[in-house]
Amino acid sequence: MDLLLYGLDLLVFIGIFGILAISLNLEFGFSGLANFGKVAFFLIGAYTYALLSQIGLPFYLCLISGALVAAIFGLLISLPALRLRADYLAIVVLAFGEILRLIVKSEAWLAGGDWGLSVSPAISITGVSPRVDLLVNIALVFSCLLICFVVAQLLSNSPYGRVIRAIREDEVAAEALGKNRARYKVQIFMLGSAMAGVAGGLYAQYLQAIVPMLFLPIITFTIWIMVLVGGPANNWGVLVGAALVEVFERGANIAKDYIALPIDPSNLQYILFGVLILLVLFYRPQGLFKEIPIKTRALEAVRHAREQIKGEGG
Amino acid sequence: MPEEELLKIEELSKHFGGVYAVSGVSLDVRKGGIWGLVGPNGSGKSTLFNTILGLYRPDGGCIYFNGRKINNLSSHQIYGLGIVNSFQVPRLFFQMSVMDNMLVAARGHQGDGLFNSLFLRGGWQSQERELIDRALEFIELVELGKMVFALAGELSGGQRKLLELARGLMAKPRLLLLDEPAAGVNPVVGKKIFQKLQTLSKNGTTFFVVEHRLEILFNFASWVYVMDRGKMVTQGQPEKIVDDPAFYQAYLGAE
Repeated sequence: MDLLLYGLDLLVFIGIFGILAISLNLEFGFSGLANFGKVAFFLIGAYTYALLSQIGLPFYLCLISGALVAAIFGLLISLPALRLRADYLAIVVLAFGEILRLIVKSEAWLAGGDWGLSVSPAISITGVSPRVDLLVNIALVFSCLLICFVVAQLLSNSPYGRVIRAIREDEVAAEALGKNRARYKVQIFMLGSAMAGVAGGLYAQYLQAIVPMLFLPIITFTIWIMVLVGGPANNWGVLVGAALVEVFERGANIAKDYIALPIDPSNLQYILFGVLILLVLFYRPQGLFKEIPIKTRALEAVRHAREQIKGEGG
Repeated sequence: MPEEELLKIEELSKHFGGVYAVSGVSLDVRKGGIWGLVGPNGSGKSTLFNTILGLYRPDGGCIYFNGRKINNLSSHQIYGLGIVNSFQVPRLFFQMSVMDNMLVAARGHQGDGLFNSLFLRGGWQSQERELIDRALEFIELVELGKMVFALAGELSGGQRKLLELARGLMAKPRLLLLDEPAAGVNPVVGKKIFQKLQTLSKNGTTFFVVEHRLEILFNFASWVYVMDRGKMVTQGQPEKIVDDPAFYQAYLGAE
């Protein structure tokens, strides 16, 4: 086997899950929304992409539609759910993800049922080696990741980012300071869902086939591990988290082909994930990377000026 | 000169189960100056404030601000009208810096919107600069100048109270409700706070203050309301209130 192919495949997965981690970070890390139904919006993006590509839409329209449909579902579920307390929100969206998976599983006329759907790749160039094919995928996935990352960075370092962090810290106080918390939460929920939708589309076209089994709740928890380990409210941190978890997860699959272990590495990895989460929560609850304070040009100028005065005085 | 009526409360009631925290309270706050609200613990002062703010729905009665009924508005809408509050137990954004706590409170920051924050980044930067200057002024006022970029969670109890107050002022309120601004801060600073409030009250902000430190409050307030067990028992100028038997009865209990 070509080890390089494993590496390139790993990069695609890091890219896709990087987008998911960025989107959950916007929701949970910055705004405090416990979205335990992340996989639902991933699924929506994937199935929208698959269905639209089957009727012949070009890949970019499929991706954008996946994002829009996921955002609309995000709006629909967030309107009632965001009125609930955080823990109830978590239960509602968790259930939503499972219901959605069971619907696509049972309704064969809509989405192929258990057999799933086959998807044509976004960009197919005939007669090239798998390596080139993977590189094309990597370029596509990382372009999308870059856009999501830049959006998340711009938002978190703006007055808007300040408001959503304030809502995370104390939503009643934020509301008393004139911030319409429901509006902010719905916006963030829609934006996060749209990003997850893009990730779903990329996933579908990369695998070229999707089945309901791919969208088990474990996907949601994997994304949560990435955010918690990497560092909530730190966009760089959650990317590192996504990379670590994917190396771990894909690595276990590769290891299976090369080393004979008394237990299946795929099962062992879930135990190790559990240990990892406990260790992080006990010894480094802020994650590997701490939250970065809001940076705007005006704030940085003042901070800089103050440090200079302090420097001269001391 | 007739004083303009700012806040008018008529027969307001709020109960929790069978407990009438506020029952049939009426009062007026006119424009300008410092208005006091005193009464023993549990007399309903904080409940009254929270009801004005829209955090509790009243069970009876009416609240008017500038002649407009505000009973059923949500608290961000009430903020929009110019009523701002500083909580009794500071509710700061603890994982955010002192400066960011202040800037959240700023009114009408253009970058607060999703679209503007992403696509009009040039637009709000200069406004942010001005807001930072104003925030620094208030931060200096409450003597937190050395803590501008410290996390609010790192402040001491007294400093938290001061930041809570400064954050309220940052919003340029027309009516600022202050729940015990001098509690837990040292007496000198406590007095300084009231002196500053008095200066600010000449620039169009009206203060309605709950305070247990009567010796400070009575020096600065122009009118004082006294509550006991959910009811308004007496009111008047502070120099007259101190001679009012109802005031003593509220604090010392019936003989």
